[in-house]
Amino acid sequence: MTDPQPADGGKPMIVLENVDKFFGTFQALDDISLSVAKKEVVVVIGPSGSGKSTLIRCINRLEKHDAGRVIVDGVELTDDIRNIHEVRMETGMVFQQFNLFPHLTVLDNVILAPREVRHMAKAEAEELGMKMLTRVRIPEQARKFPGQLSGGQQQRVAIARSLAMQPKVMLFDEPTSALDPEMIKEVLEVMEELAASGMTMIVISHEMGFARAVADRIIFMADGQIVEVGPPEHFFTNPTEERTKTFLSQIL
Amino acid sequence: MTTTASRPVAVLWMRRNLFSTPLNAFLTVVLGAGIVYLAYLLVRFLATSNFEILRVNLALFMVGSFPRAQLWRVVVAMLLLALMAGLAGGMLKAAARERSKEAGIRLAEVRGSRAVVGWLRRFWPLSLLVIAALALTRTLIPTLVVIAAVALLVASRWLGGRLGRIPRRVGWLSVALLPLGAYWILSASGLGWEDWGGFMLNIFLTIAGILFAFPIGVALALGRRSSLPVVRAFSIGYIELIRGVPLITLLLMAVFALGFFLPRDLRPGSVTRVLIVITAFEAAYIAEVVRGGLQSVPRGQSEAAQSLGLPGLKITRLIVLPQALRATIPAMVGQFISLFKDTTLVAIVGLGDVLAASSFANAQPAFNAQGLARITLPFVALAFWAGSFAMSREARRLERRLGIGER
Repeated sequence: MTDPQPADGGKPMIVLENVDKFFGTFQALDDISLSVAKKEVVVVIGPSGSGKSTLIRCINRLEKHDAGRVIVDGVELTDDIRNIHEVRMETGMVFQQFNLFPHLTVLDNVILAPREVRHMAKAEAEELGMKMLTRVRIPEQARKFPGQLSGGQQQRVAIARSLAMQPKVMLFDEPTSALDPEMIKEVLEVMEELAASGMTMIVISHEMGFARAVADRIIFMADGQIVEVGPPEHFFTNPTEERTKTFLSQIL
Repeated sequence: MTTTASRPVAVLWMRRNLFSTPLNAFLTVVLGAGIVYLAYLLVRFLATSNFEILRVNLALFMVGSFPRAQLWRVVVAMLLLALMAGLAGGMLKAAARERSKEAGIRLAEVRGSRAVVGWLRRFWPLSLLVIAALALTRTLIPTLVVIAAVALLVASRWLGGRLGRIPRRVGWLSVALLPLGAYWILSASGLGWEDWGGFMLNIFLTIAGILFAFPIGVALALGRRSSLPVVRAFSIGYIELIRGVPLITLLLMAVFALGFFLPRDLRPGSVTRVLIVITAFEAAYIAEVVRGGLQSVPRGQSEAAQSLGLPGLKITRLIVLPQALRATIPAMVGQFISLFKDTTLVAIVGLGDVLAASSFANAQPAFNAQGLARITLPFVALAFWAGSFAMSREARRLERRLGIGER
């Protein structure tokens, strides 16, 4: 197996040590160890049920890991609610189904957390919100409701909503899987810009063009384990594991 | 084709919709005859009946044994409530207009005769009741009062619609204070709600029941989903206990059995006891309605809020509850309508509501043993039907409005 440590040896942003996660008797994560450096972009691939989502949901404690350690920017996730809060403030998450708040306008979706968590003044938060919406290229939709937007626009709003908390890490859980094909590109472009700006990112995605262009490393998971880790060119030219080859032949 | 084209549209419509097959034609004739016969019965009833029992007792039906010399208090309270309703309606409209302007959507303004038609369609059940009641009055004063109330409603709605953002705060404050003012007027000089009766009592019990039971019901619904075992156990126990007992049993207990448990000085009056029971009862049902709404909010909503770092209480208050309550509007209104009708049960425990007024009237020497319940009970039924139908229509409007542009 290739070394799960990042190549450039800087102080890691995310560290997982021997993490296990069970749902009842089903083991979703099996002794996962992983370290993600600052500004690194990691793309996670693997068949459904392989534990990809569980992996990133453990990083902001939407799931509680059962064994091992999870450390984000030096803060270890324990039962201590303050640590959980600190990690969530620094970690943005984008979901497959967008999960925008349908009863709030686009702008209110974006400024909710800055207002309620960071206690920012309204005018300041709105300025920040408009900046974030401009960054994802939909400032003109600010006063509409999520239901009035297309899927691609909604997902870009979701990205803006996470960015408004100025996180150090962004987690993406299959951000383009629920989108019509013609809308995937607009979301991937925003994510590429984000990666270029130096954001630390873990992305679950089977968009291989995106992975090839942006990923520093690709992780292949199966049955709750990390099967193979390596830079994109390694994956696309000569993957070592048999299961990786089989999987890649299925999706490419 | 020239023959069909020359036929009137109505004939074509009837042929297509009423007489398309022999079976349909048969059904049309039978049902048509039935409807005509029912209409004949209704007209005969209205034309031949003597409504003297309602004329004499109209005040009894409306306000029970509320002192007749103090009736002006009811009038003032009504005017205050009309002012409140108009102000609130106008301000809501102004706020909606501003929001849609910001969003760049133009609301279609309905004006002139179409607005009047719209209002008639919206309020015809209530108008029917008011007109029926006014037709029974002997003097012009009640009609003038109703006209004044409607005029006040229209004027305050217009005013509310012109208020800007800041004056609206004052407006909302007065909307909150006006019902208190109405209560104060009605209860001043030694009168309290213990002295209220008639349809006024039914309306009061409904509105107060809803206002008190709603927050308790929401709290119980949240408690039922709480991670704290004690809170959860209490909520489930309370809800299941109350839902397992008929309301009439609780009312009888409150009025006749509670006296044994409370010291004499602490025994509240009958209306208060009944209000407490209704509140406790409704809270359990509202809790179950709200629970259904809470379950309809997808998990992803609170997960998204969690991932943004919002604390649990704010997730509930800002994300989950607003969506959950929206989803419960139909069931909630059904619950309120059933409460409205259930308030007649207080007649059984000896309170003078509108149903009890019907019995009192029929027991009066001038009217007893003449089978006049056939006059009084339909009048009571009309009052409840108008109120219930109005509530369900308003709920449909609210649903449609909240549904626009969201999800």
